[in-house]
Amino acid sequence: MMHRFLDTMWGQANAVLAPFRRRRWVDLLLVAAAFGLIYGLILVGREWTAIQRPQLEINLSLLALPKYTFFSMMRGVAAYLLSIVFTLVYAFWAAKDERAEKLLIPLLDILQSIPVLTFLMPLLLVMVALFPRSNTGLEITAILTIFTGQVWNMTFSLYHSLKSVPADLQEAGTVYRFSWWQRFKWVELPFATTGLAWNSMMSMAGGWFFLMINESLKVGDKDFRLPGLGSYMRVAAEKGDLKAEVFAVLAMILMIVFLDQVLWRPVVVWAQRFRIEDTVQNEDSQSWFLNLIRRSRLIRRWDHWRSKRRRKAHGRRAKSLTQQAESLERIAGLAPWLALGGLMVLSALLMLGAYGIFHLLAKLPAKAWWMLLKADGLTLSRVLASILVGLAWTLPAGLAIGLSQRLSRIFQPIVQVAASFPAPMLFPAVIAVLAYLKVGLGWGSIVLMLLGTQWYILFNVIAGASAIPSDLREVGTAFGFSRWQRFRNLYLPAIFPYLVTGCLTAAGGAWNASIVSEYYNTSGPILKTFGLGAIVQQATDEKDFVLLAAATLVLAGTVVLFNRLVWKPLYKIAETRYSLSK
Amino acid sequence: MMHAINANHEVICELKGIQKSFHRETGHPLRVLEDINLDIRANEVVCLIGPSGCGKSTILRIFAGLIQPTKGRTFYHGEEMEGLNPGVAIVFQNFALYPWMTVEANVKTVLQAQGLDEETIKAKAHRAISLVGLEGFEEAYPRELSGGMKQRVGMARALSVDPEILFMDEPFSHVDALTAEGLRAEILDIWDDAERNPSSILMVSHDIKEVAYMADRIVVLSANPGRLRTIVENPLPRPRDMRSPEFLRLVDQLHDIITSTELPDVEVTAPAPSLQPDLVEPLPPAPSSDILGLLEYLETQGGTVDLFQVAAATHVTFEKILSSVKGAEMLDFVDTPKRQVILTALGQRFVRANMDDRKDIWKAQLLELRLFRLVQELLELHEGELKADELLAELQQRLPMENSEQTFETLVTWGRFGELFAYREERGVLTPE
Repeated sequence: MMHRFLDTMWGQANAVLAPFRRRRWVDLLLVAAAFGLIYGLILVGREWTAIQRPQLEINLSLLALPKYTFFSMMRGVAAYLLSIVFTLVYAFWAAKDERAEKLLIPLLDILQSIPVLTFLMPLLLVMVALFPRSNTGLEITAILTIFTGQVWNMTFSLYHSLKSVPADLQEAGTVYRFSWWQRFKWVELPFATTGLAWNSMMSMAGGWFFLMINESLKVGDKDFRLPGLGSYMRVAAEKGDLKAEVFAVLAMILMIVFLDQVLWRPVVVWAQRFRIEDTVQNEDSQSWFLNLIRRSRLIRRWDHWRSKRRRKAHGRRAKSLTQQAESLERIAGLAPWLALGGLMVLSALLMLGAYGIFHLLAKLPAKAWWMLLKADGLTLSRVLASILVGLAWTLPAGLAIGLSQRLSRIFQPIVQVAASFPAPMLFPAVIAVLAYLKVGLGWGSIVLMLLGTQWYILFNVIAGASAIPSDLREVGTAFGFSRWQRFRNLYLPAIFPYLVTGCLTAAGGAWNASIVSEYYNTSGPILKTFGLGAIVQQATDEKDFVLLAAATLVLAGTVVLFNRLVWKPLYKIAETRYSLSK
Repeated sequence: MMHAINANHEVICELKGIQKSFHRETGHPLRVLEDINLDIRANEVVCLIGPSGCGKSTILRIFAGLIQPTKGRTFYHGEEMEGLNPGVAIVFQNFALYPWMTVEANVKTVLQAQGLDEETIKAKAHRAISLVGLEGFEEAYPRELSGGMKQRVGMARALSVDPEILFMDEPFSHVDALTAEGLRAEILDIWDDAERNPSSILMVSHDIKEVAYMADRIVVLSANPGRLRTIVENPLPRPRDMRSPEFLRLVDQLHDIITSTELPDVEVTAPAPSLQPDLVEPLPPAPSSDILGLLEYLETQGGTVDLFQVAAATHVTFEKILSSVKGAEMLDFVDTPKRQVILTALGQRFVRANMDDRKDIWKAQLLELRLFRLVQELLELHEGELKADELLAELQQRLPMENSEQTFETLVTWGRFGELFAYREERGVLTPE
């Protein structure tokens, strides 16, 4: 069966390709990739339905690495698909329903400030209880962890795009009587696509951060490992297998580069067609992979076949079109009720949740709250310290790179990969070095946080520096500014908006990282220092729900407060005073 | 009031007693339209013209059903309208094309929205595209096209749905002058076909010649809030010759009407203190730099010019010139008998003075206005730091019918130039110089 299918497929491809023999490898590659993917998905399916093992053996041989990498990648992709569905529904609802907007947007703000790891353990326990026999529960937990690392940014991006569709484009849609679906399809979604594509790329990168943790979960003495790159790295680190560690890092980098080149670059380039005119276009508008695909006869053939089918179908469809319109109208008529119902259910759930948490927290003594606040202060200072240290080196380095076209061509992709790389994978090595230098985790955790977050700042500084208009730089040269004058009067103000974005992202990352960097659980003795992150992690290990909930509340509260009081005003200044576009 | 030659034509849509206010975040709602009564009849071209802020685009949108009026009623073929006007398509000022769709897709999309079948869509799109001469450009994206070509796409899209009335909102203001001339003639040709839609055209414009060329009836509006001043019938036979004496006479007449409503020879700025002691003078949207430019220009022209020749010679819209002239007149730098703008003795002294003296004269003239005396008092009252929000609130009370934000903006540029006060936008405070 398979053979025959392959034969006909191949025969067809061969016939199509005959006049273009030189390009046959493109289609060969595509077909091979398709089969590889199918095989991989079968493996994933088997893994999901496999019986849950009490103890997962990770095979440290290099031959097993591609399989593990594929598993991890598929988790990331599945999480992304989930994210995009969530984003479309949530952002559209918030943008269109004024009543819901008042609840949904603040809720999103709070959700994005709750570190993923705090609800990982409760989620895991629920999932394992739901799917006690198979690995499905574990897989879902792992995917949801990645999902929460990706989704909030994407949702905000889409929401803001939907809110900023130019008024005349919307008016045209109204005058020409677009239904809500047509308006979404023809106006709103295309308008949002450019931003969404960019944001998807960045968010997917952010999602990898917890790869090493969510694939090798332990709650108490129970082991919930999943086969993947993260668990591979963990086991390699525990066994001190240096070769395996190095190759795992390489595999991770390879995967990031692969996804970037084969998935995101083409998507971003393709999305360019949806840009509104006159937007400055800094991005590379070329993708070798996209060009390759476009060259493929197989794909063209398929396109051709599809459009022919569509044309044929039109005769039939025309009649059913009125019916279709009617059913769409019916849905549109139901929408307000649906939205209202959803809103009511959501509010009820939120109130129930709030009540539950309040009930739980009432048990916590005042002394514990005081301890949490002290820990919060300490962790906050660590977060800020890591940003300051990050700024200290990324500012000069980023400016040097961004101001030189040659350097930014070389370094931009490297920094991008570094920013997507899950820093926790490097923790074992760094902790070993710290231990050798006799630096405790109290200070050492700042270094660990820095490891993940500095790249966001660097990335933004480079982007800002390369966006400084050349005439402004020429002024500095023409009037003989000193290096310091240039920095103070031009570079710093010009990159300020980028700097705020970078620091905000870095701070978010640092809070997340605090949970894994203040408390490090290896096979040996547990390393820890006093801090809010450590408390969260310890409460997870000891299944202390009350403390966990309280710590989460304090943490999320601090992040929300800090966003309101520090980042938002800074953003405002960046938008008004330091904006180069006005 | 509307003595019409078109009285025998059937009325298509009608506005009765329309009033419109927009809600602002700060305090009072802004009244943009007051008591508008207007109809559009079959087989005519109606043009709306007036200074900025007269709400002409708002009237068009109320006719279209895009905006609901605060008060008053709208009719379509004698029946009260609910929601969108079924007989209308719009050509937008900024084209409003979907940049991600080709020319053809932009047109087809609106036909698809009507639920037509593929064959009809194809035929109608083709007809509309060829009607405006876009054949061969079907596969082009809007970003590849010039302003004029883009507006052709906008026209094709509007015409494709076969509208009874074609609405055009300053359609040629982003198109270069030569192209605009061609497009006007073409759209009239299309309209002229009595057998086919569009039966009528409603156009918003700020170009008096354009209005005289296109319209059967010219609706002149005045600003703050927008009111209907007068409706001028245009009996000139088509096709019209823009150089014919009759045409020039009509343009002249329109100039006179607009100046007499906007710059009446009776002093408008003269305060009547005993009647309304709290009110202050509203300022036109004329930044100090514009007024300076106008005075310099007047000086080079020997101190006297015709208002509309300035607009023609400088390629600045007459609305903007009008604002600058109003501003200069408030400061006593110019006089405006009829359509003439004449530099006063003070204006002459001002233009010839050096920068320091200019600022002194400017400041002295500012303090002649009650508005600036008020600002000075408030500055003293608040001990040298006046919050912009407080001043705005004060202005809103003393300018109940006006756009106080706009007055505030002008006030800041005038005050800054006269060194009456400094304004820090970030902190939102005024401080004395």
